[in-house]
Amino acid sequence: MSKSGTRPVRLALLALALVVVGALGVSASAFGRSNAKSCGTVTLDENAWAGATANVYVVKYVLEKNLGCEVNIEKLPESTPLFQAMADGKVDVLLEDWNNIQLKVNQKYVKSGQLIDLGSNGVIGHIGWFVPTYLMKQYPQLKTWQGLKGKESIFKSPESGSQGMFLGGDPSYVQKDAQLIKQLGLNLKFVSVGAEPAQVARWSQAYKQKKPILFYWYTPQYLNTAYQLSEIKLPARSKKCVDSYNPKLGSNWSIYRCAYGQTIIEKVITSKFAKSGSPAVGVIKRWKWSANDQNTVANLIAGKHMDPEKAAEQWVKANPGKVKAWLGK
Amino acid sequence: MSVIADAAAASATPSLLVEHRPWWRSRVTLTAAIVGVMLVCYFALKAEYPWPASLTWNSLPTYLNDFQTWLVDQRNAESPSFVIRAFNGFAEFLDSLVEWFTSFLGWMTWVGVSVAGVLVSLRFGGVRASIWALAAFVMFAASGLWAESMQTLALMLAAVGLSLLVGIPLGVYAGLSTRFERAVTPVLDAMQIIPAFAYLMPVVILFSVGPGAAVITTMIYAIPPAIRITALGIRGVPANTVEAALAMGSTPAQTLAKVRLPLARRMLLLSVNQTILFALSMVVIAGLIGGKGLGDVVTSGLNSYPALALLAGLVIVVMAMALDRVTESVAERTNPARRHLTDERRRRLRLASVATGIAVIAVVAVSRLLGVGADYSRTTARDWLLARIQSVLDYVQNPDTALFRVTSWIGDHIVQYGLVPFRNFLVETPWPVTLLGITLISLAVSGRRSAITTFVMLAVIGVIGEWASAMDTASQVLVATVLTVVIGLGLGVWAAESRTFSRILRPINDVLQTLPQLVYLIPLIYLMPVSVVPGVIAGVLYAFPVVARLVENGVRNVEANTVEAAESFGATRSQVLRKVKVPLAQDAIMLGVNQGIIMVLAVVVIGGLVGSPGLGYEVAQGLARSDFGLGVLASVAILALGIALDRVTRGARRAQLEEGP
Repeated sequence: MSKSGTRPVRLALLALALVVVGALGVSASAFGRSNAKSCGTVTLDENAWAGATANVYVVKYVLEKNLGCEVNIEKLPESTPLFQAMADGKVDVLLEDWNNIQLKVNQKYVKSGQLIDLGSNGVIGHIGWFVPTYLMKQYPQLKTWQGLKGKESIFKSPESGSQGMFLGGDPSYVQKDAQLIKQLGLNLKFVSVGAEPAQVARWSQAYKQKKPILFYWYTPQYLNTAYQLSEIKLPARSKKCVDSYNPKLGSNWSIYRCAYGQTIIEKVITSKFAKSGSPAVGVIKRWKWSANDQNTVANLIAGKHMDPEKAAEQWVKANPGKVKAWLGK
Repeated sequence: MSVIADAAAASATPSLLVEHRPWWRSRVTLTAAIVGVMLVCYFALKAEYPWPASLTWNSLPTYLNDFQTWLVDQRNAESPSFVIRAFNGFAEFLDSLVEWFTSFLGWMTWVGVSVAGVLVSLRFGGVRASIWALAAFVMFAASGLWAESMQTLALMLAAVGLSLLVGIPLGVYAGLSTRFERAVTPVLDAMQIIPAFAYLMPVVILFSVGPGAAVITTMIYAIPPAIRITALGIRGVPANTVEAALAMGSTPAQTLAKVRLPLARRMLLLSVNQTILFALSMVVIAGLIGGKGLGDVVTSGLNSYPALALLAGLVIVVMAMALDRVTESVAERTNPARRHLTDERRRRLRLASVATGIAVIAVVAVSRLLGVGADYSRTTARDWLLARIQSVLDYVQNPDTALFRVTSWIGDHIVQYGLVPFRNFLVETPWPVTLLGITLISLAVSGRRSAITTFVMLAVIGVIGEWASAMDTASQVLVATVLTVVIGLGLGVWAAESRTFSRILRPINDVLQTLPQLVYLIPLIYLMPVSVVPGVIAGVLYAFPVVARLVENGVRNVEANTVEAAESFGATRSQVLRKVKVPLAQDAIMLGVNQGIIMVLAVVVIGGLVGSPGLGYEVAQGLARSDFGLGVLASVAILALGIALDRVTRGARRAQLEEGP
């Protein structure tokens, strides 16, 4: 009995010794990088789309490997819920905001000094009306909206009756398509199939069957490397042009009668994180990459089902120059 | 899920006193006549009278958005008020509770958790229950989702525990006081009809995101069944037993503690069972607001890796079925009618409990000493499972298969001959005609009180500016309900006549009830690529098992001597079925229709996430675009529509039973 009683004690002593050695090792290695303050924990938000996953895992890889940060990932619904969570200190960094921070309800967080808008992350987003390229070849007049006029019936579907169907985007995304259709006098019916996976399911199926389909789509998007899509040119932009339908702007819909603009995708961080003195702040501020870079990583993750950590590692190893710039070296 | 249905069926057992009205005054004829008049108005005055702007409260959305702004200001003020701080504190308490449960499960190690689960199920539920528990742990390990499963389990422990803490005392009170029960029933209805998407935004503003917010969202949905079934159990205690106790001089408190609660024990345990199942159906929604675990895998997998989302969905199903079977068998075992405890048996049971306790402690201690990890991390069947699921998805996505030709044909026809005409009829008929028509149908089917409620609810929908969207949603609900009733009626009658089929139906029922709808909506979109159909079909899949079950119970409960009498007159089996059993089960069937409609409504709203237009879409949009006003108004309209549809189909007899004469 007494023998078996000493065993846990010995084990505990051994464990204690290990902990002490480990702690010494950690502090020693921290000394080795004495020029930098220790990084601590950084929490990144991961949006629901593949491009955002690519951002998060590449930044996570760099922060962990180069600065020894501990990186957490949260996945929260966009816009107010996320900004509130950031204000509450549950998330430090949002790497890809499609202008939600510009909404009036969310500007409060910036004005009160809780959140900081860091500006572009290097990726320029663009929304438009797309058709498969094979269809564009078959009907070259689809290059512009004027050419689409009179040809709407080729897009007929069970939901649209005698009209052509316009497949709308995810309801949470910026859009004004129903208003555009009316303003341009097109014989199209706006049909939404909801969240993005559903919309992709719908148009990619038509694509596989080589059927005509006209839909709301955007770049950068990793699927654009797998599917050949062409954009229909919409009326040129004017100064008072608005991209997101808002009933409060009144019933004069002519303000929507123009192509979508270029969206500068932004980074948002909390001021608490900015003041933390962590070296991660500098990296996040300098972090920028192109739509092409993002698509490469997103395609590995969502297209090829590669583990996101590995996909990030692969890209970082292939692009040492870009990573060096982020690290400020 | 079956208990509510059973309980409801019990209150609608067929009576031999079928009312005899002249044919021209029967429910069916009157309803048909009203619809006929509505059709005439529809064809004569198509789309000429939409709900007028003068009858709409236009400034309401602005007020609601101002309220949201005010709330956000309060929340982020320099020194927040006491109320806000209380909300914060509560959320933080819940956060740490969930974290504590998670780390406790981790501390027990994966071996410890599995052994504890299996042994406890064995002791209190029996061999079959323990096999279910074992199957669940095997599934967690094989899917490679052990850590996520434990996070979900911890979330469930917190949410279910707190729901019962609130629900059982309230349920006991509702069982004792009719007045309280009547007061609380509409609140419970609202908690179950309003889609969780609708209150995600307020929850997030008040409680922020994280496990705490996920627990609160889950509790809103899981408390009602706890209250309802507990109340049912307390009411089910035989009155003469209670009287006897009172006559012998027991105080009301003594009667409650010594007579009512022990006799209601089985129902109390069933309320635990139902609370768990309701809570599990919220796992995915909880994943949206920072509840970690399987729900998170489902929501984030949908975009980038649907096969993984489906796998996580299957793990949720297995977890739900195991929890259901274990708690159900525990409940059955404590049934006083089945328990004949001798002193000897009692002593042996106590010994078994002690042995179980010691074994669990020993296993946990040994596996901790051996350094067993918190999560199972050895070889899994994950890649194999994912490859299988992916091949199913690939097959479904391929538009050249025979299956696709059949399903897309069905989908197209549902749209062309069901949804489009129904929608046009409801949306384009002049609004006064629709309003009066539906109210009159309610009067014919369910009586005066129900008709008044229906009228008020429809008027509310109009005034808040949701008339067109609500009619759109109603058309989807109606089409889905027709399909649900046709399928449910057929399967229910079949199951009543054949025990074998009844046994086959049960696991199908369980899977359809617990598999998160978002998971099967994606394959449905591939198979029926027309926007509204997947939502409608998902509603049918969710609701038909319950309708089938209610019909089955109704038909089976037709009194044996009535059937014998018919048989002795020489009626064939099909004659007995058509002329005796089905007519006598009329009330149960009506209840099936009623429950079916409410369940379909709940899912059609989720269909909004994948594009079914109408109220669900507006709720999703309100959440996605931070438009508080839009989300709230659409949710209110969903609730009003749910109540109206419930009253229309309630039937006169149940209306009388529940609302008093």
